[in-house]
Amino acid sequence: MVKRFFEWVIGPMGRIAVVIVGMFVFSLAAFGVYQTQQNPKPQPIQFPHNLHVGLGIQCLYCHPGASKGPSAGLPTISKCWGCHQQIAKTQTSPKLKPLLDAMTNGTNFVWVPVAKVPEFVHFNHRPHIAAGLNCENCHGDMTKVTIAENPQVMNMGWCLNCHRQRAGDDEAKLTKLTDCGTCHY
Amino acid sequence: MTVDLNKLHAVGAIAEAAEGKWGMVIDMDLCTGCQACVAACAMENNIPYVEEEDAGYGRSMHWIRTERFWEGEYPEVKISGYQPMLCQQCGKAPCEPVCPAFATVHSQAEQLNLQVYNRCVGTRYCANNCPYQVRSFNWRDYQDSRVRPEITILANQFNPDVTVRRRGVMEKCTFCIQRIHKAQDKAKSEGREVEDGEFTTACAQACPANAITFGRIDHPESLVSQLARSPRAEHHLEELGTLPRVTYLKEG
Repeated sequence: MVKRFFEWVIGPMGRIAVVIVGMFVFSLAAFGVYQTQQNPKPQPIQFPHNLHVGLGIQCLYCHPGASKGPSAGLPTISKCWGCHQQIAKTQTSPKLKPLLDAMTNGTNFVWVPVAKVPEFVHFNHRPHIAAGLNCENCHGDMTKVTIAENPQVMNMGWCLNCHRQRAGDDEAKLTKLTDCGTCHY
Repeated sequence: MTVDLNKLHAVGAIAEAAEGKWGMVIDMDLCTGCQACVAACAMENNIPYVEEEDAGYGRSMHWIRTERFWEGEYPEVKISGYQPMLCQQCGKAPCEPVCPAFATVHSQAEQLNLQVYNRCVGTRYCANNCPYQVRSFNWRDYQDSRVRPEITILANQFNPDVTVRRRGVMEKCTFCIQRIHKAQDKAKSEGREVEDGEFTTACAQACPANAITFGRIDHPESLVSQLARSPRAEHHLEELGTLPRVTYLKEG
């Protein structure tokens, strides 16, 4: 039985079948990579976080939602312009051209969110800030990166790990922090 | 709660859970069957509309519906009053133990029956085991604008606090858990407890006759607890031992 199958494989039909199966598996793998491993879209401006944080600007100045509600928010163009209109370099720098265009010609650009959780996860910034966490605990040290990037994969194990640690021996807190309904609804 | 736990042989966690946390009282005397709760629920919870063909197969999606029953033999029938039927958030839910993926779980913190959409694999076992028939299944990608182009405009009114469900997952009433979380978050930021009547579910909010009341059933002084002590109170299919958290005030 095995011998007959082997003879069929090295025959012409068998070789064609092997090639078709191989191509099928390869295309599946390629599709999987395409679906999951894409690089994020480029940001409209190569925003240097390290420079802005180095100048002493607080995270909450541009992302004020973090202390108030679910979403930290990304700054609007007019917020950028609030400072940048007073900076002479804004008029000449090629890196800042999208911002200048937006203010003078009315074109628009949108930031690409970096730290995102899937749709079925409902994350709220406010209780995390209220619990005494700092931005860099989850988002990494912004004095060392230009364009923001995720320092870790934000998956459920990572969330729960911290939740369990912070709950400690408090039974009621542990129940609340590890309850499915706290994030998924 | 009027259920005798000794009769149900309730032990351990079940006996503790019997008291519950959030509950609802529906006064069937006041209900006019206007379906405002059904519409409000659909808006709040991103519930899709199914079209004629799927509705014909009995795939209509509602988390709350108004029921009426015929009593007696045709033609001498009497039509009962309106009875809004939603997930009873059972303390001992028949849907929970049958889920092979643990997508239907009991929230220990809020004492609600949850559906975890990302775990659900769509076996529909829970819906078949639900005595109240209140679970609905997404037979298609009803909310995907690539599948249904006409949904594109409707997508602008989605509630961002609630997941938009995909094809192949079961869904059900959550007692508006997003509103519970919002109220708890607000109360905690102000350093107090959630007050009775501070927030309510979408169905109760929309009800023009105030037939639906929502609140804490473990606080004896809350409005919902006071109403639940009425002699008209009854629980549906209580004899199955499901410990329902929705109390109906039958027609007096």
